[in-house]
Amino acid sequence: RRRARARSGSQPCGLRELEVRVSELGLGYASDETVLFRYCAGACEASERVYDLGLRRLRQRRRVRREQVRAQPCCRPTAYEDEVSFMDVHSRYHTVHELSASECACV
Amino acid sequence: MILANAFCLLFFLDETLRSLASPSSLQGPELHGWRPPVDCVRANELCAAESNCSSRYRTLRQCLAGRDRNTMLANKECQAALEVLQESPLYDCRCKRGMKKELQCLQIYWSIHLGLTEGEEFYEASPYEPVTSRLSDIFRLASIFSGTGADPSVSAKSNHCLDAAKACNLNDNCKKLRSSYISICNREISSTERCNRRKCHKALRQFFDRVPSEYTYRMLFCSCQDQACAERRRQTILPSCSYEDKEKPNCLELRTLCRTDHLCRSRLADFHTNCRASYRTLTTCPADNYQACLGSYAGMIGFDMTPNYVDSSPTSIVVSPWCSCRGSGNMEEECEKFLRDFTENPCLRNAIQAFGNGTDVNVSPKSPSFQATQPPRVEKTPSLPDDLSDSTSLGTSVITTCTSVQEQGLKTNNSKELSMCFTELTTNIIPGSKKVIKPNSGLNRARPTAAFTVLPVLMLRLAL
Repeated sequence: RRRARARSGSQPCGLRELEVRVSELGLGYASDETVLFRYCAGACEASERVYDLGLRRLRQRRRVRREQVRAQPCCRPTAYEDEVSFMDVHSRYHTVHELSASECACV
Repeated sequence: MILANAFCLLFFLDETLRSLASPSSLQGPELHGWRPPVDCVRANELCAAESNCSSRYRTLRQCLAGRDRNTMLANKECQAALEVLQESPLYDCRCKRGMKKELQCLQIYWSIHLGLTEGEEFYEASPYEPVTSRLSDIFRLASIFSGTGADPSVSAKSNHCLDAAKACNLNDNCKKLRSSYISICNREISSTERCNRRKCHKALRQFFDRVPSEYTYRMLFCSCQDQACAERRRQTILPSCSYEDKEKPNCLELRTLCRTDHLCRSRLADFHTNCRASYRTLTTCPADNYQACLGSYAGMIGFDMTPNYVDSSPTSIVVSPWCSCRGSGNMEEECEKFLRDFTENPCLRNAIQAFGNGTDVNVSPKSPSFQATQPPRVEKTPSLPDDLSDSTSLGTSVITTCTSVQEQGLKTNNSKELSMCFTELTTNIIPGSKKVIKPNSGLNRARPTAAFTVLPVLMLRLAL
């Protein structure tokens, strides 16, 4: 526990949230409404498997070359919020599905 | 041992605080000699337990179920049944908004009361319990939102309806139910059918029933200085689906239609009871209760009588159901009178404006017994689905620890305290946990119990 605290800024993988204006998301919606954007962030060191070590080794030895591989677990949403609706500046409503994460995991 | 004692002490402190925080429903009414009316579902149970009452009630229902109600009621047997039932708890039973089995409750209410009214009456008594708490904290909240007293140039620029949408989006429950009604009401079915109106109305009712009024009123009654804001306010209920129709029916026809439905009829009667302009009070509202009027206005959204702002004028507030008085024939006067209760009602207008400006009237409570009863917000809480998600979103889980404490080998002189199981909240603030810790969950300030339960645990942690 002490080690984790010492290493500054590397929090474990989890949900973070941010209040953003819909127009800031760059999805093409002109709306002043504010929504809560939840995303996944953090380190995944603790959930490395033998698989990751093996794959890394094989990559170093150039046994795996051509394909894009990821020899490290990644902090990603495992579930998304169903929908969020908002009104744009032209008084039209829009509904966006799976904009925000609801659960995170190292996968 | 010391630790365990400290825990017990904290536990009892917690319990005391909890009992102080939520007044028991028994306290108030008994003290002041005011008995809240029995709800009709319960009254029906009481009646069913009694053979005389239950047989008379069955008779009356058969009388009213007949095609021609008036001739059936002229029947001696029916009259006798009605007279007996006027003495029973069924006679003055009431229902609560958003209660369990609300429809069943209202069906029981009207089964008696339809027999008592002589045909169609202009105003009907509300089958709902009176809104006893004035809930002026909502108005106080509104005054914070509207920023009265702040720099006028700032408040002139801000859009309160946009702020209200933001507050809703930042609350999980409000956002979920808002998104739900918007996506349903906005879904086009075909080029001729704009939307599924029935489903849209249902989703709107869920929004107004299950989201606390501090969110819903704020969106519905926000004050505006410009047209963009007022248009947003008008669009709150997605009027192109839920309000407008191909044709505008006559208002009295619409009222007849509404009265065929127990829920619509009850909500309209409630509106008439709470928003009917009275010139004997300062605010022109019955008992100067703005809160009750706003509540019964919002209670009609999602029914045939759904009211809305007629245009996007920022300051002149005119609301109306989707109907007109054309084709009224010799009922023109009655129709206009009915419509004016929406369009030119000083009580409703004052209530909307007062909420928007965050100003409530300061009238001393006329009946202290009413103040003693639980505010509706508290009563509604258990039925709200967000409670569950709110407690879990704090990253807490409840573990019953009565057995584990006993295992720690505590002496038997403490057995009285020990025989009570208590719950411990484990907070997931340990690094490595995948659960999110929310610093603040929007405007959920009305949950003191959670804080009181966390407190002893945190203190215990410190002791460790």
